[in-house]
Amino acid sequence: MKDFMMIFTGADYTDLGLSPEELQTRMGKWFAWGNKMQEQGILKGGEALTPQIRRVVGKNRTVTDLTSAEVKEIVGGYYTVSAKDFDDVVKIAQDFPDYDLGGTVEIREIMVFDR
Amino acid sequence: MEHKLIDHLFRHHSGKMVSVLTRIFGLKHLDIIEDAVQDTFIKASLSWRTKLPDNPEAWLTKAAKNRVIDIFRKLKTEQNNLPNLNQGTDTIALNDLFLDTEIEDAQLRMIFTACHPKLDSRDRISFALKTVSGFSIKEIASGLLTKEETIKKRLSRARKAIRDANIPFKIPRGKALKERLETVLEVLYLIFNEGFHSNTKEKLIRKELCMEAIRLTKILLKNKLIRTSETYALCALMCFHASRLESKTNTENGLLDLKNQDRSLWFFPLIELGNTMMNKAVENSEFSCYHYEAAIAAEHLKARTFENTDWYKILYWYQCLQILQPMPTHLLTMAIVCMQTNDFKLSKSYLEQIKPDDLHQRAYLFYGAKAEFYSKTKNIKKAISYINLALMTVTNSLEKDYLQKKKRALLNKKK
Repeated sequence: MKDFMMIFTGADYTDLGLSPEELQTRMGKWFAWGNKMQEQGILKGGEALTPQIRRVVGKNRTVTDLTSAEVKEIVGGYYTVSAKDFDDVVKIAQDFPDYDLGGTVEIREIMVFDR
Repeated sequence: MEHKLIDHLFRHHSGKMVSVLTRIFGLKHLDIIEDAVQDTFIKASLSWRTKLPDNPEAWLTKAAKNRVIDIFRKLKTEQNNLPNLNQGTDTIALNDLFLDTEIEDAQLRMIFTACHPKLDSRDRISFALKTVSGFSIKEIASGLLTKEETIKKRLSRARKAIRDANIPFKIPRGKALKERLETVLEVLYLIFNEGFHSNTKEKLIRKELCMEAIRLTKILLKNKLIRTSETYALCALMCFHASRLESKTNTENGLLDLKNQDRSLWFFPLIELGNTMMNKAVENSEFSCYHYEAAIAAEHLKARTFENTDWYKILYWYQCLQILQPMPTHLLTMAIVCMQTNDFKLSKSYLEQIKPDDLHQRAYLFYGAKAEFYSKTKNIKKAISYINLALMTVTNSLEKDYLQKKKRALLNKKK
């Protein structure tokens, strides 16, 4: 088994005009997904990120504050899971709840260094 | 670990939070308040994804309190006439506003504001669904079968009316309370009916409108100073109707539709609640339209089969209703009720009192009833000509199918 990270981009809830009810329904789907992975014992961790961005760029370490509207694809969060291979993670990612809102799951393998 | 939230927790809390914050900051800051509340739910939906707080409700109430400080900061730069949060006593007073009883009071204030006479009657429903019930513009549009643009317009018109008239965020007293309560009940009744009778394919949103109307009516009933027998009757009526939401088909032919319903799908806890409400409603002898409508609904529920229905009693209740609130649709229904007992003379006299134009887009129901009348009295030729008239004026496809089926049956009889 290897470790993979599923990185969620797009689908920022802020400007979509979702109702409290819809937000709760979406959250329910996230719960269900998280529970499923937990029961299978493959979930290693994960976090959700707020849409505020502070960016440090260049030699001069220029600091800028950005909002989600100014960034094309904002990273909303990630999960780390253990799986056999990429195909396996693609299967897991079927349950990601926000495809219909334009969300994307990017799958990356976590690099392991020899000790 | 089992993640489970109370159904509609967010929706219900949204109305509570908006109401409490409005009580603190006033209706003129409603826009800022609604944005702040929306923001809270977005944050919750993100941060609860991976870990649900131990007490979600307390979390939300605390979040609302924190919003007080946010909004206060935001407004402070614009003006000075705000409560002074720096003084300890003010903070205590503010804290008290988040007690359950005070939250209920704030919600009532919002309901009464939504039903203020300065608001256009159609705007009231949209405004109530948005601010009191936490529906989104999209949900309201789909529930009311209107475009989102229309709902947006209604909402901004309602807000403007509230601002222009400087409506206070209060529950009226004395005579004004009686009058306003009538409008409140009417608005709740309309919200319920939109859900119950609407032809939108999305069954879920219809059910939610009905359940929301019941929830708000229950909030009224909690308050000793506000509850009336009329309110109890309305609640009974809603419960009785809602109990057969699952078995209801999508037609307006109420009575005839009942014939084909699967009665085993009726939801009995709601019928029981309706009975309890009805007993409260008849504690004094002053009866409203809601009383009679509830009595009619109850009579239908009492019958185990369509054939067992006590049509004489139903006719009697309709006659009472017609005296209190004369309407062509009542006449139409009474005509159909009389046909069930083969009292064609009386049925005819009711039909003769109706002008199809008075029924507007529901005129096809009148033609359909006429067709039924002639079919039952064996005048098949006339029945077919009326069913053709009905088919020409009907717009709803389900109703159309229903009428087509009737027509085929009539044509077969003719042979």
